[in-house]
Amino acid sequence: MKDYGLFYKENKEQLYAYLLRMTGERQLALDLVQESFVRYLGRYGRREYNKALLYTIGRNAALDAFRRQSAVGFDPENYQDFGADPEQRIIDREKFNQTMSAIDKLAPLDRELISLVTTTDLTYHEIGRVLKISEASVKVRIHRARTKLREMLASGGD
Amino acid sequence: MDYLASMYIDNELNLEEKIRFVDRIQGDKPFYKDTRELLHQEKLLRTAPDTSMIPDHPPRGVAIGDWFIKLLKPVSYATGGFALAGLLLFVFVTNPVTPISFNRFVIYEPAASQVELVGSFTDWKRTAMMPVGNSGYWELRLELPFGEHRFAYILDGSKQITDPTLPVREKDDFGGENSILTVVEPI
Repeated sequence: MKDYGLFYKENKEQLYAYLLRMTGERQLALDLVQESFVRYLGRYGRREYNKALLYTIGRNAALDAFRRQSAVGFDPENYQDFGADPEQRIIDREKFNQTMSAIDKLAPLDRELISLVTTTDLTYHEIGRVLKISEASVKVRIHRARTKLREMLASGGD
Repeated sequence: MDYLASMYIDNELNLEEKIRFVDRIQGDKPFYKDTRELLHQEKLLRTAPDTSMIPDHPPRGVAIGDWFIKLLKPVSYATGGFALAGLLLFVFVTNPVTPISFNRFVIYEPAASQVELVGSFTDWKRTAMMPVGNSGYWELRLELPFGEHRFAYILDGSKQITDPTLPVREKDDFGGENSILTVVEPI
């Protein structure tokens, strides 16, 4: 049986990255990380440590937060700098900002899929369990969402 | 079949699919170009956020924001772990020298339509808890004197439960059980 502290340590950063993509707001994502672990502990105690379950709980916590307040847009200040070369950094940051803004414009389920697949190491099967859709749908929709992002970025992010 | 590129990016290909994938890369120029572009896009998508603000230590009880945890920390040290149960959170507002302790009781009971609190500090009178939006949480803020208190929650008017995060409990004279909370003065 793994230790709760270790479970937290191993998953907090990925869960935060996921919730940040979901919500677009740093403080909210930080709060939701804490809330997710508390809910996990409250419901499942220390009996088992299951990553997919943690993301399901994190997702529900985010959805509750959306209901409480309207979701906010992506804030690039939440992200680290991209490298040492200042010029390259500006270019990378610009590209990254466009990509994140494009994620914001995806349909909610596609946004969730992209958030999960790019920030966690969950399999398609596990992502299907979190979102309650079939693995086959995950496969098709993730690719469609990626392609859509590419088209949006090619046309200037609209 | 087009989603082969995504499956490749996400490490979801089995051996058969890997063969199909390399064959397509070899013979299908547009597929190669698309996959390459998606890989570059993926690098951006997977840029890691700054995670330095996430607390190092996991939360222990019911809290709605990490600021609770920060407030709870010194108290939990002082009480030797008793106050680790986050259901009773010590909120020392504005002036830390004030002798009043504001306690925030929080419980997660999404299925309940009414939650009340009874305790030695309410003279065992039922006090309604307020739902926090539709989050499933219920909360109540009360002023408590420092010392030891006994309390329980009443769900939907009849079911008495203890605080799931507080380890110390005691049977009452009516067949129920109460949680024991010790409120200590902050250091």
